[in-house]
Amino acid sequence: MNPHLLTILIFLPLLAAAVMLTVPARRQSAYRYIALVTGLFQLVLSGGMYYLFHPKGAGISQERLYQFVDHIPWIRLDMGGLGRLEIDYFVGVDGLSMPLLFLSALVMVIAIGASWNVQKSAKGYFVLLMTLDMAVMGVFSALDFFLFYVFYELMLLPLYFLIGIWGGVRREYAAIKFFLYTLFGSVFMLLVIVGLYFSVTNPDTGAHTFNMLYMMDPANYVSGSFFSALANQELFSIPARLLGFIVLFIAFAIKVPIVPLHTWLPDAHVEAPTPISIILAGILLKVGGYGILRICFSIFPDAAVQSAWWLGLIGVVSIIYGALVALTQHDLKRMIAYSSVSHMGFVILGMASLTTEGTAGAMFQMISHGFLSAALFFLVGMLYDRVHDRGIYHFRGLATLMPRYTVFVALAFFASLGLPGFSAFIGEVFVIIGTFNAESVNGLLPRWMAIAGSVGILLSAAYFLWTLQRMFFGQPYLKGGGAWSKALTDASPRETAIMVPMLVLALVLGVYPALAFDKINASVLALVELVVGN
Amino acid sequence: MITLTHFLIVGACLFSIGLYAVMARRNAIMVLVGIELMINAAVLNLVAFGRYDSEHYGGQAFALFAIVLAAASVAVALAIILNVYRHYKTINPEDINHLKD
Amino acid sequence: MTPDTPTYPILAAFATVLFPFIGFLLSALAGKKAKSGFLAIITIALSVITAGYTFAMVWGEAPIHAQWHWFTIGNEAFHLGIFLDNIAVLMLLVVATVALPVHIYSVAYMKGDPGIHRYWTYLSLFCAAMLGLVIADNLLLTYICWEIVGFASYLLIGFWFTKDAAAQANKRAFIINRIGDIGFLIGFALLYSGFGTLDINALFGMEGLFVVPAATDAPASAAQGGLPAGWITVAGLAFFLGAMAKSAQFPLHVWLPAAMEGPTSVSSLIHAATMVAAGVFLLARIFPLFDGTVLLIIAATGTITALVAAYFALTQFDIKKILAFSTVSQLGFMVAAIGIGMYPIALFHLVTHAFFKCLLFLCAGAIIHEMQHLSDRHQLGIDPQDIRQMGRLRRYMPVTFATMLIASLALVGFPLTSGYLSKDALLIHAFEWAAWQQGVAHIIPYVLTFVSILTSFYIFRLLAKVFFGPTVTAPLANGQAGIHDPSFWMLGPMLFLAACSFFPLFTLQPLHYAHAWLLEGIGVSTPWAPIPLLHVAVPAVTTAATLAIAALAWHWYVKGKYALKTDGLLYRFSLHQGYLDSFYDRVVVGAVLGLANILRWLDKHLVDGIVHGLAAIGRGLASIAGWIDRQVVDGLVRLVGKLAWGLGSMLRHTQAGRLQGYLSSLFLIILVILLYHFIVQA
Repeated sequence: MNPHLLTILIFLPLLAAAVMLTVPARRQSAYRYIALVTGLFQLVLSGGMYYLFHPKGAGISQERLYQFVDHIPWIRLDMGGLGRLEIDYFVGVDGLSMPLLFLSALVMVIAIGASWNVQKSAKGYFVLLMTLDMAVMGVFSALDFFLFYVFYELMLLPLYFLIGIWGGVRREYAAIKFFLYTLFGSVFMLLVIVGLYFSVTNPDTGAHTFNMLYMMDPANYVSGSFFSALANQELFSIPARLLGFIVLFIAFAIKVPIVPLHTWLPDAHVEAPTPISIILAGILLKVGGYGILRICFSIFPDAAVQSAWWLGLIGVVSIIYGALVALTQHDLKRMIAYSSVSHMGFVILGMASLTTEGTAGAMFQMISHGFLSAALFFLVGMLYDRVHDRGIYHFRGLATLMPRYTVFVALAFFASLGLPGFSAFIGEVFVIIGTFNAESVNGLLPRWMAIAGSVGILLSAAYFLWTLQRMFFGQPYLKGGGAWSKALTDASPRETAIMVPMLVLALVLGVYPALAFDKINASVLALVELVVGN
Repeated sequence: MITLTHFLIVGACLFSIGLYAVMARRNAIMVLVGIELMINAAVLNLVAFGRYDSEHYGGQAFALFAIVLAAASVAVALAIILNVYRHYKTINPEDINHLKD
Repeated sequence: MTPDTPTYPILAAFATVLFPFIGFLLSALAGKKAKSGFLAIITIALSVITAGYTFAMVWGEAPIHAQWHWFTIGNEAFHLGIFLDNIAVLMLLVVATVALPVHIYSVAYMKGDPGIHRYWTYLSLFCAAMLGLVIADNLLLTYICWEIVGFASYLLIGFWFTKDAAAQANKRAFIINRIGDIGFLIGFALLYSGFGTLDINALFGMEGLFVVPAATDAPASAAQGGLPAGWITVAGLAFFLGAMAKSAQFPLHVWLPAAMEGPTSVSSLIHAATMVAAGVFLLARIFPLFDGTVLLIIAATGTITALVAAYFALTQFDIKKILAFSTVSQLGFMVAAIGIGMYPIALFHLVTHAFFKCLLFLCAGAIIHEMQHLSDRHQLGIDPQDIRQMGRLRRYMPVTFATMLIASLALVGFPLTSGYLSKDALLIHAFEWAAWQQGVAHIIPYVLTFVSILTSFYIFRLLAKVFFGPTVTAPLANGQAGIHDPSFWMLGPMLFLAACSFFPLFTLQPLHYAHAWLLEGIGVSTPWAPIPLLHVAVPAVTTAATLAIAALAWHWYVKGKYALKTDGLLYRFSLHQGYLDSFYDRVVVGAVLGLANILRWLDKHLVDGIVHGLAAIGRGLASIAGWIDRQVVDGLVRLVGKLAWGLGSMLRHTQAGRLQGYLSSLFLIILVILLYHFIVQA
């Protein structure tokens, strides 16, 4: 098999973007077809990689257990007294990144499908979308911290423009809020990266390195360096390693997002165009969760154990807070945005438990939330496309007008609220089980957190069912009257073609979760061993 | 007896009259006349001092030289004034101020 | 214990679940074309056959267990499996046999409904999940079926979703069930974290981690497990919470009367016979888990539920609401039986109740169906479910009357019926348990006896008002109504269920339950000595009371000599169902929404306020920096420029262009230089 599959996967969108730049701007429809072909090709490629991915490939801290690895020296700069700068183009996948890569490819295809009607400067739009695609793929596969940071920042730029130009009424406000929030996190991340660089050496060459895998091994730390576990350095009377962990955690937690760093999310979602909402919820939030597992937990395992209780608390607060606030929203998209906060809270809670069940459940919840939230935002977009309104109180009895759409909404809602048979159920249940287990396995989380977390499951039923009853049941009554009921046509074939695969996937993963767990297991075991084992 | 001082006083008077004409008259020709008066004051001084150079007669020689130059410059100046008059229909120096920036 | 290889009973049990599931898939795919219900009936009929076979093979034999690997998480494998013991096959058979008549009944009952294809789809889904629930071998699988059953119930309650009441009712039902589901979830997650398995047989089987306690107050094998005793109690209570919601126990019962917004056939199958009994089934399944505290709470809750629901049933006017409260009350009896440690008797009552309560609903459905016709034909615009509009129906619908009478007698526990056997067993054991427990426990059997008298009252009130009493509806009164017994498709199932409501199905001894095959199969062992006197006294008292109450109801409602005031506090309290609905709406929902609104406000003003505040501080600093930049830094640069410019503009005035001016300046300058020269020389 071609060893450069991963590199192809990452840079394919860039090629597509280059092709787009050569196409004259008047040929509007060419762009979306180029994008769609790229997206589908990526989907097939990542699907193939997923199939080829060996379930024993634990990865985490051992390079030989990573798959599809490309490791090429990139920047070698002699810096005199500071030694040689060692930055590699180092990408590879393990059980944490493989499902997320496939998910990203899938969500991208959905987003491209949802962008079908973009008229406003389509060229710029699709070029930015492809750039974003590349950055996302890169983030999930980079194993060199410098490379990771480059991709991480590269994600921000297209998103800023995509929200700021193609968004809703308050798009500039939302775009800037989103940009600043994320930048706030990543700027401090850069400091930690530099700190780690000067603390870690490559055991083979003796040079300082950005290689993440070397950062995971305590033996590679220069003795007495800032982040060395033995040196016990302190800054502002906080242990340096704890501080590094907190800084990185905050950077990623903003993406997840956690309460109280979440307020960019509803605004960004409400103002972003549908495809960008889909990408935001489907992929971008996962970058946060992935980063916490891949970087925070793996590089600072000791600090992760120390702060597990607080992480669990954050998770629980996010779950309940997000659900309660979702309960009072009048804008459908905002409601779903807050439900994302609640559902991602389970991810944090599961990770914090540091048990295999909890962590695997968190991974599964991320995957499941990836396409379920994409489906939900797509459904909102369908309604918005038709009448340019999303107010929950402005609709009633939609089930009579749009039966097929209602079936989709009901299925997506029930899937999201954790009905067994759908993927979210597996994720949430194992997060709860893992949290209960934590007390007997490693004693990190008290059991009441699991009980409090499960209240979130109850609340999610409340807001989804309330919305369902309020908008879809009863006699049809619309704010816009007859004009609206004419505009509200049932789901079109294109929309059906996008919705059905997502719901089928949610169902398949819910019925046969082994499809995902088989690939995740080895990595989760290795990660838990790495964090709790020492 | 007529001493050097008398010559110098006459020269100074001539110069002053010339200076006055140059600075105050509203007619370019009178200004020219003033200039001639000043040159002649200088020539008178040259001749008067030339008495003390009986070896080379430098004073007289320069005086002659200056008179010739003055004659030539008057010819050029009159030609300029004539052209100025053609152009501006006046020879009042007050009205011809195109030299400023 | 290693699981056995699949055998014919296992395959048959699997097929029992699979058939309705295939029916569900096919009718979901067929969409609007699947109107006839043929598919659903065929599949459930096949299920009955396979369930019968399974029952015949397994009943009284050793349990059979088979499982297949499902998925692995970390190093823990989870399995899908079937566990067949006496309880499972009994429930399997009962569910299938009750479901089949209801399906047949629905053909006629739901005829012509525009959404009927959805009806059959949902019904098949329900059957598959319910059958799966009873044979699941581990708690995770049970939970999955448990929730899907609730989901199917949600869909069916909201079947007529254009009615606001139905949309409200199904939301309420699902959310209240969700409360229970959370309990169930917490319960099994606790067990998993303590014992590392969810296998029902491994946990609660004959050689399981929890052995059946010899005496009910012995702590349930807390020492063996990885869970502290306190958490065992919590797990027990959590499971009970799940059962409370599903089996509509006070105070979570409110969803069941509201669920009557669904089609009556659905009410009969789901909200009377099967799904609501799932809670009782679950309690019986995990019975060894409960310690004395939990059992006492269960018994008390069951008793309170039985009493409160019967009390609410006394004054209702909606025929389905009366039956719904009756169901709640009977479920209270079953739960109380669990609480006194007699889960076989709870199951016995569950089985007998399933038949006669299903029948009661089917009869009610037939009546509603005819009343609706009557109302439509004469343009009366009456509520077809209101018993005040009915009366004298015996003349029009004699067969319906007969079957309903049989079901009612079974409900009150009249001799010769199946209900007599199970209720008798329940009451007698309750008295014996109380004698053994001593103290305040005596309240429970007396209350239960009192409730059974209340039961007689409300059901005879119903019968009297519907079939005998005077009517305010003119066509009924003058014999011109033109309504009649329903068609064979509805009558057949009713007659079948009526036959099942008699004693021979369970034992050949009409007056004594002790040799009922059901109890012998599951095995009742009591830690207390039987009190022979009770076996005569209890049936004698209840039967006498039933007859007296029947006479009283005849006197009050048929003869019209109603003796009570209808504006008393007790009456109004009962009529409005204890104002529980408005209590929940105002207090519970209000509190949650209030909290949510506060949080939303905080989110908007505090969290976002901080963000905006930070942004404002940033902007403020930036504007200060901007001001300094503009005024100070740039000011210096501009000052230099201005100086040069000012100087230049000052000097430019000397360039007047006047010849004489230039000459004068020239002269002046020379003069100054000369003067300077002179002064310096001097």
